[in-house]
Amino acid sequence: MSNVSFMHGNEAAAEGAIAAGCRFYAGYPITPSTEIAEILSTRLPEVGGVFVQMEDEIASMAAIIGASLGGVKSATATSGPGFSLMQENLGFAVASEIPCVIINVQRVGPSTGLPTKAAQGDVMQARWGTHGDHPIIVLTPSTVQESFALTVRAFNLAERFRTPVVVLMDAIVAQLKEKVILPERVEMECRTLPQGSAASYKPFAFGEGSVAPLAPFGGEYRYHVTGLLHDEHGFPTEDPEVVARWWQHMNTKLAAHLDEILDWEEEALDDADVAIVAYGGTARAAAHAVSLARSRGVRAGLFKPRTLWPFPEEAVRALSRRVRRIVVAEMNMGQVRLEVERLAAGRVPVEGVHRADGLGIRPEQIVAAVMAPLGRAA
Amino acid sequence: MNGDRLAISDWERLLATLELVRHSLPRGVTPIILSSLADAGPSPQWGSGFSFVHGPAGRNIALAVGLRAALPHVPLILAMNADSVTLGTNHLIHAARRNVGMTLLLLRSELTRSDASSGQDRTAWDLRGPQVSLEVPARPLEWASALDAALVGRACLDEPAELGALLLRALRKPGFSVLGVTTDRSLATGVLSECDWPEYFDRYREWARPLRENARTRDAPPAPPATARNVPRYEVRIAGVGGHGVKLAGTVLSEAAGFHEGLWATQRGDYGSATRGGPSSVDVVIGSERITYPCADDPDALVVLSQAAADRHAGTLKPGARLVADPAEVTRMPPNAIAVPIAAIAHEHTGKPIAAGVVALGCIAALTDAVRPDSLQRSLAANLPRASLDSNMAACAAGFAATRAALEGVRHG
Repeated sequence: MSNVSFMHGNEAAAEGAIAAGCRFYAGYPITPSTEIAEILSTRLPEVGGVFVQMEDEIASMAAIIGASLGGVKSATATSGPGFSLMQENLGFAVASEIPCVIINVQRVGPSTGLPTKAAQGDVMQARWGTHGDHPIIVLTPSTVQESFALTVRAFNLAERFRTPVVVLMDAIVAQLKEKVILPERVEMECRTLPQGSAASYKPFAFGEGSVAPLAPFGGEYRYHVTGLLHDEHGFPTEDPEVVARWWQHMNTKLAAHLDEILDWEEEALDDADVAIVAYGGTARAAAHAVSLARSRGVRAGLFKPRTLWPFPEEAVRALSRRVRRIVVAEMNMGQVRLEVERLAAGRVPVEGVHRADGLGIRPEQIVAAVMAPLGRAA
Repeated sequence: MNGDRLAISDWERLLATLELVRHSLPRGVTPIILSSLADAGPSPQWGSGFSFVHGPAGRNIALAVGLRAALPHVPLILAMNADSVTLGTNHLIHAARRNVGMTLLLLRSELTRSDASSGQDRTAWDLRGPQVSLEVPARPLEWASALDAALVGRACLDEPAELGALLLRALRKPGFSVLGVTTDRSLATGVLSECDWPEYFDRYREWARPLRENARTRDAPPAPPATARNVPRYEVRIAGVGGHGVKLAGTVLSEAAGFHEGLWATQRGDYGSATRGGPSSVDVVIGSERITYPCADDPDALVVLSQAAADRHAGTLKPGARLVADPAEVTRMPPNAIAVPIAAIAHEHTGKPIAAGVVALGCIAALTDAVRPDSLQRSLAANLPRASLDSNMAACAAGFAATRAALEGVRHG
């Protein structure tokens, strides 16, 4: 059994959160993400959850970390200005390995920017916004259906890898209404409880590609959580040997499971001469551009990452061996294009179609880049 | 450096009190300590009777809000000093005004020394140096009292029994409490103010109970019909200004196609930051194939409700496309525009300018058979309040009739 509904991306994200077991939301409303807060303010109490409008986004991020420590799946939603404020506590969640989900509906920045206009300018902020090296997972939906599915996935990955996960939406998908099919049930990653005794529990065990189960606070498992670099018990340490092992743990916990985390879609790439790399709302214009280009005799295809970070490096490397040209279309000045250029490593020309003026990229703009004579760009 | 910081730190002395308090709590209850004090960092040297969050300075209050939501019955003790009156002030104010259950221990007597009775003269600055003189000390205990905190009090760090008793009392009091912890014996101690009102999340759960019960009886929406018709991609744009109801019109049209006809449809609004008066438009794309690109860059049907909308959008029509314009608003009519007095029809049937979008839907229904009138009516019924449904249905029908009449006029004229 499933439900056919007609909703926008923000609503689908809110429903995805509920379906994935989110029972706490703290946020500060901001365009173009506001509907997520609005919907969860009534949906969460209906399912026994709690919604709190906090004083700002710093507090929102702190509160979802607190609720998650208490054993409740938690999320917040925001847009660029709020996402900037969240970076401090997002780093705390990374360092202390507390699962949580942050939905960032991107609008044009920097600063207040163009509040109601779509952009994809936070790709690098989502990767590196908080200080210090750190692993992070960032997912990006291009349809309302994906907004639901990737929000569910974000909660599952957050639990699975004890990490904050960012759902990087853009105002095109967030404000777009279309048909979705909501499953009656979704696959759900539940928090596993520690097996051993409270005395032997290591809440931050250094695994090679594994994380310790996170015991909810307030029960028999008592432990220390800190943003300082710490040992396996959560006690701060400056011992270089322990710090090195901490880094080894942090650097492998996602890297050892890329096959589980990376997700992308390929369309019409089998015989393609030109690959368009596009994600989020822009991928929709790119899909249209593929059919326009093909109707004009150019074999184009679409590579659409749904996981932005970790970046699907091997897949893009392989792509650069399959086609004669890559066009990257994104509503920023080239944040993913630089990644693609790095991975294409000069094998094929990589051309960007960029704009950050609040207008979405039009299919014809992409087609123009696709149809340009080969060999012009290098 | 500091007179009251001798061999052991405030934190270590406080810890002795916390241990005392822990043994007075019911078995199985593990208090959670939150602090960002440098010397309060979690350390294997001290007892394992607590869980501990060594969070970012000041943010521990907001973190505790989430913890309280998840754990209604676990004591939350926050040991703070300067961060309570700097980074944490805003969080303190909001946790206090909501009465979120937590107890703040404000260490360092200099922060809690000042009170109204001290008669401090704000005009007589101490000229020893700007760091100590150019401002009066913050008064977090008075702030908390002013915010009707459940309990505000003060105790001496050197009197563990007294401090422990006050802390226990604060922990048992539902809601937000603040205790000044001082080494200055000249200050008044004990409960300074008290206020009885429910803890925030207790009240929240009570408020939410009827919502939970109502939610169980909600019906699932009926399944839409499977699509049987072949409809090629059809792009519609309705453009006006905020207050014309174009977004609602887009919702009605796209749901009519996507939900009541079983086609694929997208709806995308474009609006500015202002709620009224700024440019506002909606794109609806309909077809029997899944819609990729959701913008009506080159619409098949365009309805413009203002001169600005006509100037901005009328130039991008594809060959064979239809354009409807309201001649009362659009004084420079684009060539081949179909004139329909949309605002006048909206006013006649509903008395409200916001019905212009619904009239525009009638116009579109007259231009294409991509969406059938009965689907449009069902979608209107699903999206409009019952009280205004009849008048909006009439406005939509009038838009349909006026557009048909204008088309006939074009054909026969």
